[in-house]
Amino acid sequence: MPAWLWQLDRLLRGESTRLELLRRGSVDISLGGITVMGILLGSIAGICMGVFSLTGSGSQAPVQILASALKVPALFFLTLVVTFPSLYVFNALIGSRLGLISVLKLLIAAIGIMLTVLASLGPIVAFFALTTTSYAFMKLLNVAVFTVAGLLGAGFLLRTLQRLTLAIEETEARESAAPSPALTSTASSESPSSESPPSAPQPPAPPARARALVPMPAPGASVRSIFRIWVVVFALVGAQMAWILRPFIGDPEQPFQWFRPVTSNFFEAVWLAFYNLF
Amino acid sequence: MRGLIIHADDLLRAGTPSARHSEVTPRFSLLLTLIVVFGAGYGAAMGSYGGDAGFGGARPLQMFYSALKVPLLLLATFGLSLPSYFVINSLLGLREDLGVAVRALLATQACLTVVLCALAPLTLTWYASYQAYEEATLFNALTFAVASVSGQVLLRRLYRPLIARDVRHRALLRLWLIIYAFVGIQMGWLLRPFIGIPGAPTRFLREDTWSNAYVFIANRIWEVLTR
Repeated sequence: MPAWLWQLDRLLRGESTRLELLRRGSVDISLGGITVMGILLGSIAGICMGVFSLTGSGSQAPVQILASALKVPALFFLTLVVTFPSLYVFNALIGSRLGLISVLKLLIAAIGIMLTVLASLGPIVAFFALTTTSYAFMKLLNVAVFTVAGLLGAGFLLRTLQRLTLAIEETEARESAAPSPALTSTASSESPSSESPPSAPQPPAPPARARALVPMPAPGASVRSIFRIWVVVFALVGAQMAWILRPFIGDPEQPFQWFRPVTSNFFEAVWLAFYNLF
Repeated sequence: MRGLIIHADDLLRAGTPSARHSEVTPRFSLLLTLIVVFGAGYGAAMGSYGGDAGFGGARPLQMFYSALKVPLLLLATFGLSLPSYFVINSLLGLREDLGVAVRALLATQACLTVVLCALAPLTLTWYASYQAYEEATLFNALTFAVASVSGQVLLRRLYRPLIARDVRHRALLRLWLIIYAFVGIQMGWLLRPFIGIPGAPTRFLREDTWSNAYVFIANRIWEVLTR
């Protein structure tokens, strides 16, 4: 656990996303470690949200808190499950050099950031939950808190993606510019005037060589566009997923339910909450 | 006490040419002591409101409660806002400066309480001159506003080297102020009464304390608009 916490700390401080580490082709994190920390922090954020149910009759409050602690991490990871395949497919389609694990690590890192921000705002949410009787206010406060966490996570994702693309392109440009031993020896063996001794049998050509011989347009800009679209899709799917998984806060006027029937939609509910504030 | 006043003087002069020490902000324990002592001092003055009976109507228990509540208001708001500040600070890559930044924020709280304490004689004079409860409330709102602005003067001074080092500190500072004000308003609402309505029983918290300052304000605005 301390190792995972340390990893999360490095991620927050930007040490895992330094350019020299990104040159390896992905974010320097352990998928399992950040996922476990994300689940833990999401549960803390969920507990802080569910605390509002204590202000109602209170009898079902522990179950609501437990439900919220389970649902917040579920919300993020289920949204990832829904949106990841299409992102990866489009990413590959436009010729991005980011592999499956690289993309997954990047997204898990961004979700880790979102959940950390969410948990760090948890004390404020819990404070308002305990001192407020207005359900509409709590809904709006949580929408605001999730928006802040989402924006910071998305900012991290797009920033890191840009650096990652840059690092990969830089590395590849360097590999193409410096003649590889294979290329040098091939050229030598093809030249009859060469004075160099006969070379050993050649190994198969590396992919870098193929790319060097057939110049390709850098797909960096398209990759960034795809990820920008994905951020919007993630937000929309996340909002709908939250609507499906509700209640997170627990209406004090209603008995506890694990899930409510899916009627209306998220955005209409936010507007109604704002209207009911008055 | 004399030592504490000297420390308070050092704090107010921090970062100016008249500062006696090269170290810009005092240590954490000293800042906390200043907040508790000077905050309690103003709280006691604030709670001494006696209504029409003047100081004869002052309730020692209300003074004691208010003396506890002013430092509690500042420190609890600070404590609740700190985790998000810490995370966002780290995210912006400013963790190296976290210690200095947090000390600057805490020094601002201490400065606010020192200024409040300095304004306490004015508050007492006001209580002696005007007996209406609403006016006493407004005057205290004014003293808190003046103290907050004064705290900002010190905060900007202490933050100047940080902003010079990295301009993102400015954005972070603004974010801190928004979060702090957002939490602080509700905390102040929760911890009422600080002054105490004359004739009402003296209590640590009001019976109807579990409500929301923002919903209350929104309802008042709505009432005015639909009148």
